[in-house]
Amino acid sequence: MDEDKSLNEFLKAVEDLGISYDMAPNPQETSVFTGAASEPLDFKTYLKDVPCQDACPSKTNVPAYIEAIAKGDPDKAYLINQEDNVFAGVLGRVCSRPCEDACRHNWTGTSGPVHICHLKRSASDYKENAPKPLPGWFEDTGKKVAVIGGGPAGLTAARELKRYGHSVTIFERDSMLGGMMIQGIPVFRLPREAVEAEVNAIIESGIDVKYNTSVDATTMPQLIDEYDSVLVAVGTVHPSNLKLPGLPGDGHTIPGLKFMYDYNMGEIGDMQGQNVIIVGGGFTAVDCGRSCARAAKRLVGAEGTVTIMYRRTEAQMSADPDEINQMRLEEIVVETLMNPLSARTEDGKLVAVTFQRNALDDTQSDGGKPRIHAIEGTEEEYPCNLLIMAIGQTREVNILPEGVQQKEGHHTTLENVFVAGDFNYGSFDVITAVNDGKEVANKIDTLLMGEERRKTHIAITMTDTNGETGRVRDHDIQFPVQMPKLPLFERDGIAEVELGHTEDGTQIHATRCYFCNYKFEINQDACIHCDWCIAVAPRDCINRVSRLFHDEDGAVTSSLESNLVEETTYIWIDSNECIRCGKCLRICPTGAITMRKMEMCGCSTSELKEKQKANVPYGEVKYDKY
Amino acid sequence: MQWTLGKRFVSEDEIIKEQGLFLDYDEIARKGAMTAEEKNISKWYGIYTSRQSGNHMARIVIPGGVLTSSQARRISKISEDYAQGKLAITTRQCIQLHWLKTPSLADMVRGLAEDSLSPFHGCGDVTRNVTGCPLAETCKFKRFNVLPYVKETARVLTESRDLDNLPRKFKITFSGCGAGCAQPYINCIGIVSVTRKGADGQEENGFKVVIGGGMGWAPFIGKDLFSFVPPEKIVKLNRAIALLFRDHGDRRDRTMARLKFIVFHKGIDECRRIVLENLKNEGVSTDDLETEDFEETGVDYPDRPLLEQNPVGTDGRTTVRAMVPKGELTHIKFKRMAELSEIYGNKRVYLTNRQNIEIHGVKPEKVEAITEEIQKIGFATDGFFGLKDIVPCVGTTYCPKAVTETRSLYDTLIPVVSQAKYSEIWDKAIINITGCPNSCSPYRIADIGFRGMRIREQVGSTEAYEMRIGGNHDRLARKFGEFKHDDCPRVLEKILDTFLAVRQGDETLADCIHRLGL
Repeated sequence: MDEDKSLNEFLKAVEDLGISYDMAPNPQETSVFTGAASEPLDFKTYLKDVPCQDACPSKTNVPAYIEAIAKGDPDKAYLINQEDNVFAGVLGRVCSRPCEDACRHNWTGTSGPVHICHLKRSASDYKENAPKPLPGWFEDTGKKVAVIGGGPAGLTAARELKRYGHSVTIFERDSMLGGMMIQGIPVFRLPREAVEAEVNAIIESGIDVKYNTSVDATTMPQLIDEYDSVLVAVGTVHPSNLKLPGLPGDGHTIPGLKFMYDYNMGEIGDMQGQNVIIVGGGFTAVDCGRSCARAAKRLVGAEGTVTIMYRRTEAQMSADPDEINQMRLEEIVVETLMNPLSARTEDGKLVAVTFQRNALDDTQSDGGKPRIHAIEGTEEEYPCNLLIMAIGQTREVNILPEGVQQKEGHHTTLENVFVAGDFNYGSFDVITAVNDGKEVANKIDTLLMGEERRKTHIAITMTDTNGETGRVRDHDIQFPVQMPKLPLFERDGIAEVELGHTEDGTQIHATRCYFCNYKFEINQDACIHCDWCIAVAPRDCINRVSRLFHDEDGAVTSSLESNLVEETTYIWIDSNECIRCGKCLRICPTGAITMRKMEMCGCSTSELKEKQKANVPYGEVKYDKY
Repeated sequence: MQWTLGKRFVSEDEIIKEQGLFLDYDEIARKGAMTAEEKNISKWYGIYTSRQSGNHMARIVIPGGVLTSSQARRISKISEDYAQGKLAITTRQCIQLHWLKTPSLADMVRGLAEDSLSPFHGCGDVTRNVTGCPLAETCKFKRFNVLPYVKETARVLTESRDLDNLPRKFKITFSGCGAGCAQPYINCIGIVSVTRKGADGQEENGFKVVIGGGMGWAPFIGKDLFSFVPPEKIVKLNRAIALLFRDHGDRRDRTMARLKFIVFHKGIDECRRIVLENLKNEGVSTDDLETEDFEETGVDYPDRPLLEQNPVGTDGRTTVRAMVPKGELTHIKFKRMAELSEIYGNKRVYLTNRQNIEIHGVKPEKVEAITEEIQKIGFATDGFFGLKDIVPCVGTTYCPKAVTETRSLYDTLIPVVSQAKYSEIWDKAIINITGCPNSCSPYRIADIGFRGMRIREQVGSTEAYEMRIGGNHDRLARKFGEFKHDDCPRVLEKILDTFLAVRQGDETLADCIHRLGL
């Protein structure tokens, strides 16, 4: 009720009637209306609302960088990526894209997700400034950290530790930093310059690198003494192997990673006319296959054949459908449900391998893939001069000093020795390694400084754009353009195949994004149940509900919809269905619907406390549209 | 609908409008149904969808609310034939027919045309029905008769094809004096006739023009555009203001598209500059449009002239009124009113913005006879513009936008205000009830206003009303509280009891609130 003195006489009289109403609580999806929110409810709401960021192992602020691209600022978009996932130009090409599987466009539409990954690359392609080191967070601490391994996890941890104010030394076995990004991924998929630019931006922040320096169990104790903390991020370099009867073992079979390393270093010998078989179905198998048989047939010539033999079906391969299509186009045979049995040699040279067919079971293995069993009597011989085994790799555990064991969550039995990246959890992708590097840096800093010095929070700000995010409904129904590619017969195994989106293509993909970080919420105390928002809603995004069910943090887990106005307790925006069109806000006659912008941010613990002083609780702001 | 990839920031309605504004109801009758786009464009023909699917509402345009008895009989007949015999008088002096079926729309339009009637431009983004004071011709407080200007404005703006696609609806009203019976401060254009001493000492008539008022979800009291406009220029000025609206209205957000927001955002001075430019572009001289205040020399008028029972006009004849409960009546009753106007009156039927009917031109000696006849129909003939003259919108009875059943609240409030203890203040307050924030019954300018809403319970919700008190035709009411439907009668009773106790002299409830607030 408005405070209005002139009405006092009248209000007093009506007060005597003792009218009061028992109303259901006003459910709110964040702990504050605007400001720096850091309750569990805020993180739950945010990550539910922004599924791409939730899916990203490294929690990249996807909507923010796509919005920057849509507004024509690729440099800002690049910086957001650099902050969150370190290797934007690299990941824009080779990321495994869990974000795109989660994209809201994928839930109900048939045009596929926003090309989140390729937009990262567009930001990198169209930015005007070369990558620069990011500013540090804290003053010099005088602490020293050794990072063993200069791959994605080690480099990320080094960068973050430097920003925490520690001095960092990287010990790299090879002559180049980048790890798998340089050695394991073929250059036509990831040009070396792209990696180098981003690695340099890390090193230039003042990180000491010792190249060509192997560390093993015997030299480790010395490092542990010399440094305040040691991080082991040496990846998984020990190839798994399969012993086939009849294999001569004279170099005719090589591990996939070794092949890729040699390929990237330009050290592959003559393969003219050879029949190459690659056993495996992971990223490495595909990369090996595509490296051998470019359309130009540089390595195997016109006579040679390249076959990938995988024990399950294409659906279980790590490569995405687009890459499988490219393989078909490049005349790489993919034989599925194949299991190698034995090899045959002539004159000491491999000439053929016998495979047996598999069948898929209805049950699943622990990894979630269907189990297989061999079918007797389906053995068949395939000509083969070179057998590449790309069936995974494991870590070399003997780098840790004797008696030291790995524990859960980056720790080891030694307090100041940490592990990260593939070495921590086994062979996986770049984005997961990046996140692991960020996490371990935080843990090392907490150990060295005795407290957690940086925290994340959800920054919530009010908007005054009348429910417009810069998009119109038309943007939802654009045909997504495909990534432009190098013509088939110009693919020489070195030139990059994916050319990057044009500026127009970039805009199409960027403006398809719903910008899910905009939060539409109804203030139930101002809502009068006119249902006008429901009438204009473009889809089933606003409902009449009689009950809402909450979890222990106050986050809504489910609702009970109702058809009758009498049973309707709330008019409720289902943020899973909401496409942020703003129509409900514009039609609302009482200003009950607001559009706030949410963003996940990191800052120091003291800064966060300062920010939270300016927090505005619900109900304090009376929102007027005009 | 199929979207065009224009990537323009316009509302969906704008895209539909661009496809054209023409409909053929004969074709629709043969087809049997309307598409979503046709339903939208149908508004330009005064035809809305109803809360009951398959039914339509037609709003017949009646400039100034004046019908010939022949037209009134025609509407009665059309209502009988196509609208289940019911018709409703609106707060902007139109008549609405509900219960129209899709196939009968064409016949209805044809039938109305036989008596020069039409629902064309009854709704839609156009100049809506131009209203005026019901007593425009004969009121003893009038400066001059504004009815000819009402009709000419309606004709010119309705026939201007370049004004068919305005950003939203556009409402104009004319008043014969400053008493505000025609609500000039809550229309897009409010025009008030004024008289002053001219330079030559002769009496000089003109119009004061107010723009940018409005109710709806965002209420605005209009601002003075010109203090004096020569009568012969008023139609051209109205067109110039319509052009301001057409060219500067918000086409991205329909809820923000009304003229009141242009005035609010641009300011009245900028709007005046644009209007003057529009006039110049159309070759109209603007030297004699004034903004300075001056002494008005017309006869004194009371605050609420319509309170007078059976007023005798300047022609010596009397006006007799019929209070139509909730503004809805049957075709038989309406036809009888037409007959009574033929027998006793000037063969015209006048509709008021309080949803009542007036018969003008009654000889004083016949007043008793016609009063008796009207009462026989079942209508009260006194209490106009008083407590019992409650104006509800149609509410959830027909309207798809409404939140509450306003007529139910009407039924529960009538016994409260009819109590004997309120007989001494029967003329001190009016009550308006509207079912949603659109404010078809302008609840914010009534002494007591109710606006429909729902209040949630622990589970579910109940019909309720936001209550405002202290409004007057040129002053917005203040929010008083939110009460469930069943509590409204006792809250109203408390308010009236308090008013009885604290009132001073002859003041109205609005004046009382205003005084206490000072």
